[in-house]
Amino acid sequence: MAAVLVVDDDPFIRQLIASTLEDTARDRPTEAGDGIEALEAFEREQPQIVFMDLSMPRMGGLEAVRRVRSSAGIQPTIVMLTAFAGDENERAAEEAGADLFLTKPFSPLELLNLVHDLQPR
Amino acid sequence: MALSEDGPGNGGDPPQVRALEAQLERERAEGRERERQMERYASDLSETFRAERRRSDQLRDSYVATVRALTNAVEARDAYTGKHAERVAAYGLELARRISPALAADPQTEFGFLLHDVGKVAIPDGLLHKAAQLTPDEEALMRRHPEIGAEIVSHVEFLGAAAITVRHHHERFDGGGYPDGLAGADIPLAARIFAVADALDAMTTDRPYRPGSSFSEARREIAAGAGRQFDPEVVAVLDTIDDDEFDRLRAKIG
Repeated sequence: MAAVLVVDDDPFIRQLIASTLEDTARDRPTEAGDGIEALEAFEREQPQIVFMDLSMPRMGGLEAVRRVRSSAGIQPTIVMLTAFAGDENERAAEEAGADLFLTKPFSPLELLNLVHDLQPR
Repeated sequence: MALSEDGPGNGGDPPQVRALEAQLERERAEGRERERQMERYASDLSETFRAERRRSDQLRDSYVATVRALTNAVEARDAYTGKHAERVAAYGLELARRISPALAADPQTEFGFLLHDVGKVAIPDGLLHKAAQLTPDEEALMRRHPEIGAEIVSHVEFLGAAAITVRHHHERFDGGGYPDGLAGADIPLAARIFAVADALDAMTTDRPYRPGSSFSEARREIAAGAGRQFDPEVVAVLDTIDDDEFDRLRAKIG
């Protein structure tokens, strides 16, 4: 079972994702409210999957993804939370190093399937 | 919008007011986002529910098919009874619906009715088809079929309560039946209903040595056994169902 980090400035969305994944991920996912908190949590928890919102105070998702990608060590699968599928934000996130996208409002079934498919067998 | 230039919050307002309005607008946007997200959860939930429902219907259908196959395999050995179990199940469910809708809706009830004689697989052909009077030993072996049947059924996980009906389908209301000699309300309700449905079909089915009686004749005979072989309450419910209804059920099974 994979360890999961959820990064979003809206605590409601964060908790929603965390609760949805509670039984699918290894433990209840770790939460972070912005890019800075995300980098701290990333160092500490070494998650295999990171859900990352784009626009957040202090440090946004793109910058946080770039910093994770330039760090040494095992790289997680990064799932970017975006508002529209296939727009310029997605292209920017892909360049920054995001692997997958989840469009908001996201489907909980899609979320669960995504994490399930990423689990090591 | 409160933020528009010519609205009440125009440029003349102090910066704190504009900051508060901007904050309010952000919170409204956040509220709308949360609302859309919850709607998405709700729609996934109903989709999941429908899919789950379809799957459980399919599963139930395959259980029923399995039970019917087992029932037919048991009945294939007995040329006289052909489809007896299906008719008993139909009559029994019709009675059960008027006595306890919950009991009728429980698939275990129908499974128990259908499988009541499954224990006869353990009875040798020579004994099952013997025309002459059975010896006491043979009679004792024959009387073991409810216990054997309940034992067989108890090993099938999805046949839970059906085993109870199988075990008690030869009990009598006055306590004179077998295997446990239970009396009155100690006999499980499904088994008390079964006894009436079973007698009704046995009496109204043609045999090589006699034609079947009419439903009204069978009714009179069953009424005479109320309180002895049969639960009087079940017999009373039998009287609320028209002959036409039983004709219709019998014709449907063919």
